[in-house]
Amino acid sequence: MSAKRTMTLNLTEAEMDVLEQLSSEKDMSKTAVLRQALRLYQVITARLRVGEKFFFEDDIAKEKKELVVL
Amino acid sequence: MRREIVLEDRHTGNYVAATFLDRIDATYARHADDLWLTFLAAEMAKAQASGSPLRVPEHAHWRWERKVATVGHLLLYPTSAIEYDGDAQGLMLLKTDGEFARSPGQVGRPLVYVVFLASAPWNLPTVVARPRFRGVGTMLLRAAVDTSVDLGFKGRIGLHALRQSEAFYAGIGMTVWDQDPKKENLNYFEMTPEQAAAFLR
Repeated sequence: MSAKRTMTLNLTEAEMDVLEQLSSEKDMSKTAVLRQALRLYQVITARLRVGEKFFFEDDIAKEKKELVVL
Repeated sequence: MRREIVLEDRHTGNYVAATFLDRIDATYARHADDLWLTFLAAEMAKAQASGSPLRVPEHAHWRWERKVATVGHLLLYPTSAIEYDGDAQGLMLLKTDGEFARSPGQVGRPLVYVVFLASAPWNLPTVVARPRFRGVGTMLLRAAVDTSVDLGFKGRIGLHALRQSEAFYAGIGMTVWDQDPKKENLNYFEMTPEQAAAFLR
């Protein structure tokens, strides 16, 4: 397992609420949720960088919505 | 990151110091491809000459360089290797998002998916009469479970096993589920948190 480095994270109350909700829904610690989010953000950014697009598809409405990532 | 581990050398009966590598790059993977393919080709030629062709490993066509070059730089896809004396004894590529458990009581919970895992051909009883190192696959799988625990997935892992490897995964306590038509009809194996805890003991 890779060695870990520690940082302090300041969140607004609303952000913390979301993090707590995701942590509970996913049955993962808040740290685990944030680490997973970072993994996802990296892979999405890497794919967008090479010109791919990121869509959500609504099966019923047969509609695609592109997600715009910072 | 590198850490020291111990492997059993079945040729000498001794335990030797080996290295576990967290993350490998495409150059490392190409070196492993070259080494493994060269060895396998020599063994196939020997077996052919002796009139008893060997059972070629089902993963003999895998090219690790391509796999690692494509995704090895992404956190989502951890790679690892076990090395002895500069040579890769086993390689593994994991996926850490978008795969979910199927076991009762775990359905929908995230797990670590073992995309590819292979031991070097000289460690495989299907290739050589006297395999060199014991336990390479088990150590890699243990690392997959460790990754799952580290990510908060409680040790859950899943994989689709090649036919030649099914007995290995069943033997370490994974549950076999149905054949998966989306994955060339390979059998799907899963390890629950309880099975993972037993495996790590």
